[in-house]
Amino acid sequence: MILDPVLDLFRGKAVTIPPLDGAFRPNTRLDDTPSATPLAEADNLAASPDGLMASSGNTLYRIEAGKAPAPLRSFDAPITAAAASPLGELAVALETGRLHIGGHEEQAGPDLRCVTALAYAPDGTLWLANGSAERAPSQWSEDLLRHGASGSVWKRPAGAGGFERVAQGLAFPYGLLPVDGGIVLSESWRHRLVRVAGAERAVLLDKLPGYPARLAPAPGGGAWLSLFAPRNRLIEFVLQEQHYRADMLEQVPAPYWIAPALSSGRSFMEPLQCGGIKTMGVHKPWSPSRSYGLVVRLDAKMQPLFSLHSRANGNRHGVCSAVEQGGRLWVASKGGDCVLDIDLTELAREAR
Amino acid sequence: MEAPMSDALAADVIVRLEAVTKAYRGVPAVSKVDFELRRGEIHALLGENGAGKSTLTKMIAGVVEPTSGRIFHKGKEAHFASPNDALGAGIAMVFQETSLVPSMTVAQNLYLGSEKFLNRLRGIYISAQQFLQSLNFPVDPAAMVETLGAAKRQMVEIARAVHHNAEVIIFDEPTATLTPEEKRHFFALVRRLKAAGTSIVFISHALEEALMLSDRITVLRDGELVASGPVANFDRDSIIAAMVGRTLSGELYQHRDETALRKPGRKMLSVQDVSMSKIVRNNSFSIFDGQIMGVFGLIGSGRTETFKIVSGIYKRDFLRGGAIELDGEPVRYYVPREAVKDGIVYISEDRKSEGFFETMSISKNLFGGLLAGGKEKSAIISMKEMQALSADWTSRLNIRAINDNARVVELSGGNQQKVVIGKGLVQQPRLVIFDEPTRGVDVGAIAEIHQTIRKLADDGLAVVVISSYLPEIMNLSDRILVCRQGRIVEEFSPAEATEEKIMYAAVH
Repeated sequence: MILDPVLDLFRGKAVTIPPLDGAFRPNTRLDDTPSATPLAEADNLAASPDGLMASSGNTLYRIEAGKAPAPLRSFDAPITAAAASPLGELAVALETGRLHIGGHEEQAGPDLRCVTALAYAPDGTLWLANGSAERAPSQWSEDLLRHGASGSVWKRPAGAGGFERVAQGLAFPYGLLPVDGGIVLSESWRHRLVRVAGAERAVLLDKLPGYPARLAPAPGGGAWLSLFAPRNRLIEFVLQEQHYRADMLEQVPAPYWIAPALSSGRSFMEPLQCGGIKTMGVHKPWSPSRSYGLVVRLDAKMQPLFSLHSRANGNRHGVCSAVEQGGRLWVASKGGDCVLDIDLTELAREAR
Repeated sequence: MEAPMSDALAADVIVRLEAVTKAYRGVPAVSKVDFELRRGEIHALLGENGAGKSTLTKMIAGVVEPTSGRIFHKGKEAHFASPNDALGAGIAMVFQETSLVPSMTVAQNLYLGSEKFLNRLRGIYISAQQFLQSLNFPVDPAAMVETLGAAKRQMVEIARAVHHNAEVIIFDEPTATLTPEEKRHFFALVRRLKAAGTSIVFISHALEEALMLSDRITVLRDGELVASGPVANFDRDSIIAAMVGRTLSGELYQHRDETALRKPGRKMLSVQDVSMSKIVRNNSFSIFDGQIMGVFGLIGSGRTETFKIVSGIYKRDFLRGGAIELDGEPVRYYVPREAVKDGIVYISEDRKSEGFFETMSISKNLFGGLLAGGKEKSAIISMKEMQALSADWTSRLNIRAINDNARVVELSGGNQQKVVIGKGLVQQPRLVIFDEPTRGVDVGAIAEIHQTIRKLADDGLAVVVISSYLPEIMNLSDRILVCRQGRIVEEFSPAEATEEKIMYAAVH
């Protein structure tokens, strides 16, 4: 109705969560994958000419099919992002805000304390996503609950000395995909993918059913997008209730906030329990959940083609990164403490 | 066919019909049918709509008198001039359309006609409560009948028949409005009645129920008896073959694998967190072109209400009522006409009260659909155009009637349903929502309606089918959504879905 925008001022704009259907139709592909390498809090996967790497805590590991993760290098703080250039240069960001690029340690800048993603373009330009100007990467749930929108994206052309800011005012940018003339980034708290090219910004994919995390290119065009947590009606409601949220942040320990999580169901003190979740001992796959596992294959126009899920009753949740290499899809499940190895030929046949 | 009866068996026959015929305006609805009901048996009476089942049972119950032939009750010839006469003889009938008084309470309805001289309301409520509990019917005896849903009304109707201590009870489609749980109670009740020596005539379109529950089966076709015998002589295929003269079972309800399913087209409609009071709660789903989306849910799950919101019949909550996007643009319909203009058509589950004008002709009803859709530009109605439209859709949907001017009330249930569908389709919709499209429709018409629904999806339209009948949902749909407590809780592919999985999602 023509008056709806005016009425919304008084009645509150309806915050809606898009349904999980179409390309997002739930399945159990992540949970059904037999091949999983245990790795505590597996976070950022990076494909390099030398192989696949995964970050876990303070350490970077080499990942190979059928083998235990081999430690490559350890740092003095948790790794928050990692990337490898086509020539094999390694860039690693730490929780302290320090960067290690090509073996050299440096402080990226006073504003860059929450590096959530790093990505090399084919020309060697290093792109950097700073999730928040106010909080550290581990404080991401507080950033969401405080409606943080101080994120920014930076780039450093090959051979240049420092980073230059490309975009700011972003609501927790968490994934980067360099494209011709610009960058595609995932904006977690706004549940969307945005293309930034110079001063222009264009929303490529909106209304995602979860909080998007990292992007990785897919051979033949398109990308893999991981979503680290599902959107949830209870959380959306809490996000609208300012006083409740303030009290919760002040009085309740962070693990028990009504907020998205990378894993859930591990403590009896967590919110969201009882009959809505389990009936007669069976965890209902369609029950509301704070955590979920979701990886989406996007086409060249960044539109979803199909997706892989670990549902409420699964445990491969909190997927922060998915990378295709050697005909296989590697998925880092931070909530499930493992790296999954999925045969893409089988997947392509199913997706048809 | 049955063997000749022995004397002992003959003594056990409580009602016998001998060559009975009932003709309306010279056209026989039932023609020279022999029928017998034995003491303590459950006798299923099957046939397509218009086969004469209801007419036959109405003759037994004294609602109509036969044109010719004889009725024997306990071996003696009987003439029931009214249902009261039949009730006096111990024959009660539970009608398809309930015959309760809406402005009276459940208890008052139960005791209607058998009140004592000094009537004590409290006493009636107490004994009604005990009686309903003994039947396992969760109905409040003090509730006004008009406030009850269809299923509970049906329960009261059944309870009333049982309450009269009838020796013969005739049930006309008793389970059409009951949930699976309520059906189980009903079947247990029927078995208890049988054990107590009551004879039951059971009319149903659900063949599985007939096969599961009854001792003997009689099949009618076009008013004539085509088969009768013990249930062991029948299976699903042979019943359908007897009913329609050909085997339809394989066509109607067959399992499909992934390759047989239609792929989703463009996302046409997106429903996000739509809420309406406590009936529809944060319901979200999408509808795609070129696909049939089946929606299953128990009665009260909010599935009908959700789609009535989509089609503008009901309004979603004003505050935080969610959003509906058509082709990516938000829409909020306040009257159905706006939805119809946007190409959304809802075909009601209650065709008798919402679907058609029963005293108007087929052609006027179809043309009414055109007018409602705003497709008729001229202010003056052309009879020629109306007749052409009617002839076109009558042949497309195979509506069988004497002529286009036949009143809809005179048609069988299947043909009435086809008129309602035609009335919607003349509006050239993009999204067609069928709510219980085959409820109370015979097997032959079910096949034709299913064919129509499939063709719409093949032509690229978005189609929604809401049904309580799981085989129908599994056979028709390209995706199955399960609704529970006002929300879509789960989606299944028909290739992977089983009745158990769907029911688990619908119940838990």
